[in-house]
Amino acid sequence: MSMPFDHETLVAFSKSFGLFYLIAMSVIAVVYALWPANQAQFDRAAEQIFDDGDTPCQ
Amino acid sequence: MISGLTLGERQTAVCLSLALLVLGVIFAGAGQGDPLGVHGFIIAAYAVVVMGAVITGYYAPAPGADRLTQYYDDPTKFGIIVAMLWAIFGMFVGDWVAWLLAYPDMTFDAAWASFGRLRPVHTTGVIFGFGGNALIATSYHVVQRTSRARLPDQLSPWVVLIGYNLFCLLAVSGYLIGITQSKEYAEPEWYADILLVIVWVTYFLLYIRTLARRQEPHIYVANWYYMAFILVVAVLHIVNNLAVPVSLTEAKSYSLFAGVQDAMTQWWYGHNAVAFFLTAGFLGMMYYYLPKRAGRPIYSYRMSIVGFWGITFFYMWAGSHHLHYTALPLWVQNLGMTFSVMLLVPSWIAAGNALMTLNGAWTRVRDDATLRFMAMAAVFYGLSTFEGSFMAIRPVNSLSHYTDWTIGHVHAGTLGWVSMIVFGTFYSLVPWMWKVERMYSRKLVEWHFWLAMAGTLIYVFAMWNSGIIQGLMWRTYNDGGTLAYSFVDSLVAMHPYYIARAVGGFLFFLGPVIGLYNILMTIRLSRETAGTGIAEMPVVALKAGE
Amino acid sequence: MFTRTHYKLERHTIGFAVAIIVVSAIGGLFEIAPLFTIDETVETAPDMRLYTPLELAGRNIYIREGCYACHSQMIRTLRDEVERYGPYSLAVESKYDHPMLWGSKRTGPDLARIGGKYSDAWQVAHLYNPRDVVPQSVMPAYRWLARNKLRTEDLGRHLIAQRRVGVPYTDDMIAHAEQDAKAQVDPDSDNAEGVSERYGEATHVRAFDGNPRDVTEMDALVAYLQILGRLTDAAYQNKDKGE
Repeated sequence: MSMPFDHETLVAFSKSFGLFYLIAMSVIAVVYALWPANQAQFDRAAEQIFDDGDTPCQ
Repeated sequence: MISGLTLGERQTAVCLSLALLVLGVIFAGAGQGDPLGVHGFIIAAYAVVVMGAVITGYYAPAPGADRLTQYYDDPTKFGIIVAMLWAIFGMFVGDWVAWLLAYPDMTFDAAWASFGRLRPVHTTGVIFGFGGNALIATSYHVVQRTSRARLPDQLSPWVVLIGYNLFCLLAVSGYLIGITQSKEYAEPEWYADILLVIVWVTYFLLYIRTLARRQEPHIYVANWYYMAFILVVAVLHIVNNLAVPVSLTEAKSYSLFAGVQDAMTQWWYGHNAVAFFLTAGFLGMMYYYLPKRAGRPIYSYRMSIVGFWGITFFYMWAGSHHLHYTALPLWVQNLGMTFSVMLLVPSWIAAGNALMTLNGAWTRVRDDATLRFMAMAAVFYGLSTFEGSFMAIRPVNSLSHYTDWTIGHVHAGTLGWVSMIVFGTFYSLVPWMWKVERMYSRKLVEWHFWLAMAGTLIYVFAMWNSGIIQGLMWRTYNDGGTLAYSFVDSLVAMHPYYIARAVGGFLFFLGPVIGLYNILMTIRLSRETAGTGIAEMPVVALKAGE
Repeated sequence: MFTRTHYKLERHTIGFAVAIIVVSAIGGLFEIAPLFTIDETVETAPDMRLYTPLELAGRNIYIREGCYACHSQMIRTLRDEVERYGPYSLAVESKYDHPMLWGSKRTGPDLARIGGKYSDAWQVAHLYNPRDVVPQSVMPAYRWLARNKLRTEDLGRHLIAQRRVGVPYTDDMIAHAEQDAKAQVDPDSDNAEGVSERYGEATHVRAFDGNPRDVTEMDALVAYLQILGRLTDAAYQNKDKGE
């Protein structure tokens, strides 16, 4: 097979880029969860399930 | 339940079942002489039953516009009952095949009764029949409540449930007559797979249409897990089942992939079926019903978000730990091992979050068997994810793989985690759905809990013992440097554990039998009290368990 | 900033769905995609032969009966496995297996190299009632395999489907599929030679269940079991190289 898509290249790409992808994803998820401005909506969401009116909003 | 449908919906339902009937008849005709023909008859019969049900209720007065002021819960109620029936069926078959390993001559000289054909009946029955229906039923309930929006139409939830159960029925009946792809947890053949794709697309559209109608801008985290379950299972299902049928009138197909690629694809599917079917979906269930039942908000909403992305991301890489020391390239094995170990982080975030939510409500866990079911589910979730990460380490796996230890691990997860969270959820949900104060008998819930606990522990300990003994016997050398035991020696050593396992499984099986009785009696109770005013009382979540 | 993005993402449910797909799918992609180029680096086995129609039918019976639930076909690179079952399995050995049958559980022993270890008569007796030959066995008895005639008229279509997924069956093989299946159990028939011509001299042509006149499911399954691990010698050559 020719250069760009031979097995070694593909494996090397997986091994390197996969790592960066992993780190980036983890950082994004943690920052989002800990971002102070989000605290209010999270608290509201956690409490919202106890809202007892068992009817849909119209 | 038909009376809840509008006239237009009833007409569409009749048309759809008519279309299904035609399809069944075509299959039955074209598939003559092939097992496909048998499935044609089953599809046709199923369509007739559905159509019969719709026509019987066809002339009932149509519901008024006031139906839109209530959530649409009929499909949830149906799903709960069907899930319990599948649980009884699937667990019965599971226990039967467990006995077959101790007493192999109970096969009546019939092909359908042999272990190899019955085993997928068990796995499909419990995973897809019981687990799947429980997920669909509860997801309808959760998405409506957390979005404060009614399901956008009344027909598609039924299309999903009826279609999904037809898939399960085709799967289970297919194994008995010899239709299987042999792909573990994805055995049904190409036409059943296509049916499931149609069902799943309907399900996805229904779910996002409901979410789109929500009042709150933020989507409650339970829905994230349900969404991941729906979406990723779709991707897994389609890729893993790519195949070329021998012809359109024959059931048999050949997988598009072969050898090492097929192995990786199958276990990418297999492990992520565990991740997104048996974990993500049920975590969604846990993140709604556990706080609700405990009367306490989730301990850390932030942790639930981090855990969500962790599970969504890490699981996909872990499948190759099923292929350690095989012909799969070593770097893929190592990758799978690494991610499996990292998976412990999001898994324990979820388990810890659940248990911390209960912190301060331990007296309720002691007194309320329903909440105790959920608490034990979280404990078993934590234990079996730890065990899973441990077993994914290559040297550990060299001992555990191919042995009963794997079976013990899977059942710690499915009996201890999946089943227990479902039973806890159902015992909370049934009184809410049928608008009664509590389950018919709290004592029976208590009985169910202890049967489930005893059954799980006996089962898991038996399999741990047998698996480790097996693994050790296979690799033991005597002083002369030759293998000490023949394979048959290890088989003989398994016999007592196989009996113990079957006993444990039987105890667990009794649980849903009692549970279904309790649920049916609760429904009867709700009918008796209907109109006496109790039914109209608003159901207060906090009091439901008291 | 990206918290706002996430916020928007959530508000638009579809965007959220896409995010889940992307985050989850890329992991699998990195892992699986390189495997599809692996043919370049995997062992080559010029002597690799194809399953005959009868063996393929036997393989389909193996699948139908769920044998893979209790028997693996994958010898791992561990000393005890190699000593118990034979040279460890190579990727190339299952390159024509659609689907693969590596298995995940050994309630019974591994079968990757079972071919030729026991006689046809032993295999038939064992399948008829395992406890006749291995008293402690917990395997089901498969008596009906001896009673069931093998369906052969569809074998040509099976080879075509196999070719569609990448197995190099020739037009000649496809045209003679049914004939070859019948001839493989009848060494004295005129067509027996054609089987060896098309599938190689090493092909077993004999009455597996003892009766050359009828092709039974027993014939097919035993023919398949007897070829397991025998499609190529690559694993044995690999072992010699290593030592």
